[in-house]
Amino acid sequence: MRFDLIFKHADMFIDGIVMTLELTVASLAIGMLIAMPVAVLRTMRLPYIDAVLRGYVFVFRGTPMLVQTYLVYYGLSQFEFIRDSFLWAVLRSPFNCALIAFSLNTGAYTAEILRGAIEATPKGEIEAAQAIGMSPLRMLRRIVIPGAFRRALPQYGNEVILMLHGSTVASIITIQDILGAGRTLNGKYYLAYEGLVTAAVLYLALTFLIAGAFGIAARHLQAHLRPASTR
Amino acid sequence: MDKIVGYLPILIGGMGVTIAVAILSMALALTLGAGFATLYLRGGRLGRAVTTSYTTIARGIPDLVLMLLFFFGGERAINSVLALMGYERISLSPFFIGVVTLGFIFGAFLAETFRGAYLSVPHGQIEAAQAIGLAPRRILGRIIFPQMLRLALPGFTNTWLVMLKSTAIISIVGLQDMVGLADKAGKATREPFVFMLAVILFFLALTAVSGNLLHRLERRYRPGF
Amino acid sequence: MQGLEPSGALRLAVRDLHKSYGALEVLRGISLEAHQGDVIALIGASGSGKSTFLRCINQLEDCSQGEIFVNGEHMDLVHRKGRRVARDPRQLRRIRSKLGFVFQSFNLWSHMTVLENLIEGPTQIHGMHRDEAVTLAQSLLERVGMKGREGAYPAQLSGGQQQRIAIARALAMQPEVMLFDEPTSALDPELVAEVLAVIRDLATEGRTMLLVTHEMAFARDVASKVVFLHKGLVEESGPPAEIFGAPKSERLTQFLKHVRLN
Ligand SMILES: Nc1ncnc2c1ncn2[C@@H]1O[C@H](COP(=O)(O)OP(=O)(O)O)[C@@H](O)[C@H]1O
Ligand SMILES: [Mg+2]
Repeated sequence: MRFDLIFKHADMFIDGIVMTLELTVASLAIGMLIAMPVAVLRTMRLPYIDAVLRGYVFVFRGTPMLVQTYLVYYGLSQFEFIRDSFLWAVLRSPFNCALIAFSLNTGAYTAEILRGAIEATPKGEIEAAQAIGMSPLRMLRRIVIPGAFRRALPQYGNEVILMLHGSTVASIITIQDILGAGRTLNGKYYLAYEGLVTAAVLYLALTFLIAGAFGIAARHLQAHLRPASTR
Repeated sequence: MDKIVGYLPILIGGMGVTIAVAILSMALALTLGAGFATLYLRGGRLGRAVTTSYTTIARGIPDLVLMLLFFFGGERAINSVLALMGYERISLSPFFIGVVTLGFIFGAFLAETFRGAYLSVPHGQIEAAQAIGLAPRRILGRIIFPQMLRLALPGFTNTWLVMLKSTAIISIVGLQDMVGLADKAGKATREPFVFMLAVILFFLALTAVSGNLLHRLERRYRPGF
Repeated sequence: MQGLEPSGALRLAVRDLHKSYGALEVLRGISLEAHQGDVIALIGASGSGKSTFLRCINQLEDCSQGEIFVNGEHMDLVHRKGRRVARDPRQLRRIRSKLGFVFQSFNLWSHMTVLENLIEGPTQIHGMHRDEAVTLAQSLLERVGMKGREGAYPAQLSGGQQQRIAIARALAMQPEVMLFDEPTSALDPELVAEVLAVIRDLATEGRTMLLVTHEMAFARDVASKVVFLHKGLVEESGPPAEIFGAPKSERLTQFLKHVRLN
């Protein structure tokens, strides 16, 4: 192992970490914005709308994120009318293409996680809210959603880690994320291990950090589910 | 659009490659999963430490990173050993690398599924079997194992569906599966959109059909029925 | 039903309530009035329709026929898509906020602390200022013997404690009528007394209450009137002394034989 080469290019890896985090966090944020209305609407089972939303979730959960990314990055640029439109300003950037594909992907997964958590709301808690005269919207805001977020926490933590790992697809469309940095290092010096091992270690560390953060959050936000030692 | 018709046989062949990779990877993953689950449950402190290290690495590193590491690093490592022993260099095929990578990663998921399933078999049932004098091997074969299968089935279904999609990354190291072929065809015809769309439809068909079959199996063998 | 002197204003009136689950008619025309300060105990065998009746009153279930008046206000029900629902959801919510409901299984909001459970209704429904709601909540916690547990989550409390919090939560809405659906049935025997004590206090201070219960001794002590339901009909009703001392109908006699009076 040529550690000297790794350290010599430390700033490249740091830039890679920043890029990976930017892409992951932005995708998760946009994904959450997509997921919340989708999840709530899906629990309402509205005709037509539900079919559309189910289609969205089915397509994005049923196909590889790599293919979704290819479709946006290579696929959309095939059309002249897109290249000639204002959309091209957005779609010519690999970062934006990755962001679009990743957000739609994690949005679908997150929507399903939230929907499950919403539908797991104890019936009695809803009846108690109705019994004091809460409106459906207020009930959603005050009782259902806050409870659902807490219930969804462990699964969402998992989704965050999957998104971090999935973001490596970005390096395939020329984005210099952590994996991109590792591949660049290996390519530059014709190395077999150093760059990729460094990338692996960095991803492993980030995974631990995320898992740890969600563990701590769960301990705080799910305190309500733990019975006291005395009962 | 008519170009895709000409490529259709090739793409369907690619789908065969995708399915083959997935099935072989699953076979490897099942073996690793069963092995490591046993190691965890029966291997004492060392067995648990080894299993935990394995699952941590397999689940903590992105599939793409592991695959590239196996593809570049694995080949060089094997060739260094071979050179020491005086053999010729070999080169590892994308197919082989793909199966090893996915088997390695999803073996860790299945190890946890199997371990959980084993621990979910109520202890009272094992005691009842001991009480009527059933030998440990028969307890395993007649009481624990059949129930484990049912309990592990949902985890298996999930692993399969996730793995099926993960096969797509192998095209990055040159596998001529659906994704690799469609990527090539898309670039050749300058119509990547249609070809990627076709791949999406193929994947949806695969996940829908195999998911459906497995879910049906789950319903049939749901614990308690 | 005669011979009972109404002690005050009419708080709750139910006229000819009917309810079916499919072909099964669970309530077959029940009428009932509760005046200020009445404590009405609903008794009857399991499956006789007690819970359904209570749940229909605040529309947790829709009824197929019948009228409901709360504090003189008529609940406006209309047929929609085969169900009979409130014409104006706002009226329904207003009426519900005047009916305090206590569930058999407590139904506290599990992601909220005790205090948050108590101030949720006053702040969100009545628009009360938070400080004021907290003061109110604290006095209610004192009343149900749970002072000092403001920060606890429901899962950290015993069943008896949870039910006392649930009663306080209903009281925090300052309801006209309290509805209790077997409030002690989900509790371990040693926890029943603490909840009954709270309900007894409420009765003494003149709360209007409807109480479904299997605690016959408690019903006899606390109720001003007892209503015996059988297969969705009021089979017999009257003051506790008559119901428990001199039951008229054969069914009530049978029922009382089966439940232990102690
Ligand atoms: N959701 C429901 N669907 C169908 N039948 C129901 C439902 N809820 C209650 N019932 C039936 O209605 C009858 C009355 O139930 P309930 O009001 O719970 O009785 P009680 O509270 O007196 O024990 C019972 O026969 C019960 O089986
Ligand atoms: Mg009942």
